[in-house]
Amino acid sequence: MTQIFSPAADTWLRLLLAGGLALLGGGLVGVIGFAHSAYVTSTDIRPRQPVPFSHKHHAGELGIDCRYCHSGVETGPRAGLPPTATCMTCHSQIWTNSAMLEPVRQSLTRQKPVAWTRVAKLPDYVFFRHDIHIAKGVGCETCHGRIDTMPLTYRAKPFTMEFCIDCHRDPAPNLRPQERIAEMGWKPPPDARKQGEAIAAHEGIRFGELTHCYVCHR
Amino acid sequence: MTRRSPSDAKVSGGGQRLWSSIEELSGDPAFQAWVDAEYPAAAEFAPTARREFLKLMGASFALAGLTGCEKSPFVAALPYVDQPQDTAVGVPKFYATAVMLDGYAHPVIATTYSGRPTKLDGNPDHPVTRGRSDIFMQAAVLGLYDPDRAQGPTRRGEPVSWSDVENHIGALRREWARNQGQGLRLLIGSVTSPTLLRQINALLKQFPAARVHIHQPVGNGWRRSLAAAAYGQALDVHYRLEDCAVVVSFDDDLLGPGADQVRRARDWSSARRREADKPGIRLHMAESVPTVTGAIAGDRLVADASRMPDLARAFASKVGVAEAQMPDLAPAEQEWIDRAAAACRGANGRALITAGVFGHAATSGWVARSNDALAAGALLEFTAPLETIATAGRLAELAADITAGQVETLVVLDSNPAYSAPGSLDIGDVLQKVRSSIHLGLHRDETGELCEWQLPVAHALESWTDARAVDGTVTIVQPTVAPFYDVRTIHQIVAMLLGQSDPAAEAMVRETWPAKLPGDFEAGWRQALHDGFIEDTAAVSVDVRPSTTEITPPFADEGLDVVFRPDPSVWDGQFANIGWLQELPKPLTTLTWGNVVTISPALAQRIDVANGDHVKVTIRDRSLTGPVWVMPGQAANTVALYLGYGRKRAGRVGDGLGYNAYDVRPVDQPWLTKGSLHKVGTAETLAVTQLHHRMEGFDFVREVSSQHPALPPASPKPSIYPQKSPSKNAWGMVIDLDSCIGCNACVVACTAENNVPVVGKDQVKVGREMHWLRIARYYTGEVEAPRSFFQPVPCMHCEDAPCEMGCPVHATTHSPEGVNQMVYNRCIGTRTCSSYCPYKVRRFNFYDYRNAPESPEQAAHNPDVTVRSRGVMEKCTYCTQRIEAAHVLADKENRALRDGDVVTACQSACPTGAIVFGNINDPGSEVSYLRRNGRHYTLLEEQGTRPRTTYLARWNDMSKDREG
Repeated sequence: MTQIFSPAADTWLRLLLAGGLALLGGGLVGVIGFAHSAYVTSTDIRPRQPVPFSHKHHAGELGIDCRYCHSGVETGPRAGLPPTATCMTCHSQIWTNSAMLEPVRQSLTRQKPVAWTRVAKLPDYVFFRHDIHIAKGVGCETCHGRIDTMPLTYRAKPFTMEFCIDCHRDPAPNLRPQERIAEMGWKPPPDARKQGEAIAAHEGIRFGELTHCYVCHR
Repeated sequence: MTRRSPSDAKVSGGGQRLWSSIEELSGDPAFQAWVDAEYPAAAEFAPTARREFLKLMGASFALAGLTGCEKSPFVAALPYVDQPQDTAVGVPKFYATAVMLDGYAHPVIATTYSGRPTKLDGNPDHPVTRGRSDIFMQAAVLGLYDPDRAQGPTRRGEPVSWSDVENHIGALRREWARNQGQGLRLLIGSVTSPTLLRQINALLKQFPAARVHIHQPVGNGWRRSLAAAAYGQALDVHYRLEDCAVVVSFDDDLLGPGADQVRRARDWSSARRREADKPGIRLHMAESVPTVTGAIAGDRLVADASRMPDLARAFASKVGVAEAQMPDLAPAEQEWIDRAAAACRGANGRALITAGVFGHAATSGWVARSNDALAAGALLEFTAPLETIATAGRLAELAADITAGQVETLVVLDSNPAYSAPGSLDIGDVLQKVRSSIHLGLHRDETGELCEWQLPVAHALESWTDARAVDGTVTIVQPTVAPFYDVRTIHQIVAMLLGQSDPAAEAMVRETWPAKLPGDFEAGWRQALHDGFIEDTAAVSVDVRPSTTEITPPFADEGLDVVFRPDPSVWDGQFANIGWLQELPKPLTTLTWGNVVTISPALAQRIDVANGDHVKVTIRDRSLTGPVWVMPGQAANTVALYLGYGRKRAGRVGDGLGYNAYDVRPVDQPWLTKGSLHKVGTAETLAVTQLHHRMEGFDFVREVSSQHPALPPASPKPSIYPQKSPSKNAWGMVIDLDSCIGCNACVVACTAENNVPVVGKDQVKVGREMHWLRIARYYTGEVEAPRSFFQPVPCMHCEDAPCEMGCPVHATTHSPEGVNQMVYNRCIGTRTCSSYCPYKVRRFNFYDYRNAPESPEQAAHNPDVTVRSRGVMEKCTYCTQRIEAAHVLADKENRALRDGDVVTACQSACPTGAIVFGNINDPGSEVSYLRRNGRHYTLLEEQGTRPRTTYLARWNDMSKDREG
């Protein structure tokens, strides 16, 4: 009777098992890594805009408050992009002939909106509200990063569910005083957690109730 | 474990078996097959081979995770050019305005997002609606986005411009100026708009030889003629149900659909709840065709429509109307009359007698005198009829004049006679004899197609107009959205007839009101727009006595009684193209997408027909064929035909459904006539929902009586699950079965609020309707005279929810506040949760029921709720978007939620206030108060699911009489 398995069969089996496990593990790491990659989360992309608007210049160098243009941020779910009229409050006076601003002037004369490309966007099944985050002490910078250093705007943080829920589980370290909400480069005091907890207590943040599905999805 | 069959279901107290269809009662094998199917909605598929199944499932599992890696695309953002003040994107705005039913204003508050209306609710300040609504009000918003609306003026079907229209009207005006409008006729429907009436009167003044005709397929015309017969003058009669203790109704569906439903349902329920230990108002009803009113009547007599004058006469004689002679009565009739009369005498002037608005004048006459004899004057209010065109003729006269060649130009204002005129008038042929015909309407419908010109008018939600509510109070109707088609308001078009060139829409309405608004006009105008009505414009009460002329009994005629009723969902046919209404299970029949000929079980047995068999109904020399519905509790010799179906040019949704009852409707007897019925031999499957989503168990509907006003207390069930830690807010809902009148307003409100899809007739047939809230309808007793029960069943939000145990992917979870959450993105469509759900409240998207991306209905969606795709389960969320919005509002103010901060869509729509929602951890909340009520019980308590949605038992009004 001939042998079915050669002497090396055992080795092959072990190799195959080890290789398979490695492949599975590696694959898993790869998939998770891919899902977190800048490619998927689009944190590396500066989309082309009709006007090369620089937050660095407006928010950083000129020091215009975020809420001057994104006026809905305290009152509604959406911060909103500024209407053409807001751009023209200044640009009817300065840089009135700049070629760069031609689309803005065209928008005003033709009464057609400027077609910006949205940079900070959540999926449709996420019902995010700006106003409550601002009211409870989550600063602009926490999600949008150092906007004041961006010549062209990009997504500073990966808007993954993990990113949102980490903070919903434990918001304290990310809370800042109301008067610092729109400040860029705000440094939390050494006792960030203690201060955050004080703010959370003062604002009545409902710990433990912010992680269930219907808070964001419905 | 023994499986309980549903036929074991009992009503507690009475100990009677609950049944939901005739087939169930008679033990039909087809019924048993449906019940035995594990998952009826999926039953039509051939079983997939196991190997194939594993292959498919393996692939789905492997690929399921990859969808999470989808890269979200960069999309355009379009800000305003010049943002209007006080506008924030995503924050709704609210406008007080009105939609129309039979010409009457239904005052609403319209919710608009970014300038598009998505939801309508009753105006809480208005004396008629007080924030409540009905199905027509809730569904009106979908009518606005109807893609089949006429989108621009046409002439013989070819598109033309409005300047062509103006030129044509100019030429016509030159002709009328020469001959004073000889040959000009206007045909209008039900109109209460002061502006339109002012314009028409101005037109008649300009051209005195012109004439107006009124065509009301349903309307208030017949009701006024009944009042005229009873009181000697045309009147509007209003009931003060709030003050009544007893109501006796002779075939009067007083709580049924119609312009006055909201007000009456509200008054009825507040009277019903007046006392804690017994029902505050009792209803004795003699009825030929079962209605929602009959379903909640404590004492219901089944009597043929033609018996009503005699019954009313007998009752009048019993309560002391001198000229009434006692007719011969059957024993059951005699007993009912005795009980009703005794109850009225015991009510000490708080008994109201009502007669059907579709009945015979003799009934109304006897009822008026009975009310007088019972001194019910304080319970009735009479008002002079709302203004109308004094010289208006009827449709039959117009048809005769056209045939005689006296009509040169016919202008049809928002009326559809080619569909809704009695068939014997042959309006379709008659219309084509008119030299120049102009149709104004929302659709290029049956009439629009036959007229030379079709001019599309704006929907009420995009119009400036005005109208009166049932009590006469005026609402200035303001647009909630700019017209998105090339349409004009009806006033703009009539202004063209008056010789004005392209007038502004608002101007004509403003012109009507300067003298009639108190104080400064601009301030008064703004106030009227803000409030949604003008104060002190209600009709003025008049004092009348019943007429004393002799009441002539109706002429006895051979044959079956044939009655016509407006359809409870699509009314006279004007709502035929609104999918939400088509898919709504009609009260009692639970029929969707069509109409039926309802007959009594006795008659069905006599001619050997079952549900769905075709019958031929012959009235005089005309006949129609339609499917039959054997209606438990219908009078033996009464046949009911329902108007509103058989449309040919309603649009994609409403065309080709059902039969057209207008075809056989006699001109002289529009509501009650005689006819015959024959079996045809063919049959069809009706899209009825009565057997869908069946529960297994007992005591679904419970009752209490004034002797035993409390149910036995529930024994706490042991549970192996840990008690949940109490959160600050624990949401719960209590539904009062005694107040529910089965009107469906909650179902349409839920559909509108939660983007519930319409699935179509074939899908409903296999049980796939998607309503998150169903109104289960049960019967007890004999099929000839059963008692009927309505039970709204939304998700129970069980604290120990079986569905949560069943889901393999954790797509349904529990929130700390006790809401059973459904996560669409996690759902892989195993439908296990639905199998596990003992209440059968979960709905599965078998197909992608979403509208095409470019279709205008997309704009009707609530932007705060996900629009679900294929393959996911969905169910009632307790309007979680409203809960979260209330949380955000309260959190921003840094306060706790208060009772009443969260109002669910069904709760806010319910005209009787039967649904109460709130925090059950707050002992002061209304919902907690109701949970302590003796009538409080839990559906399927034996399951131990500890539902958050619970019920209040119904009062059994008659138990004393029956027992004693």
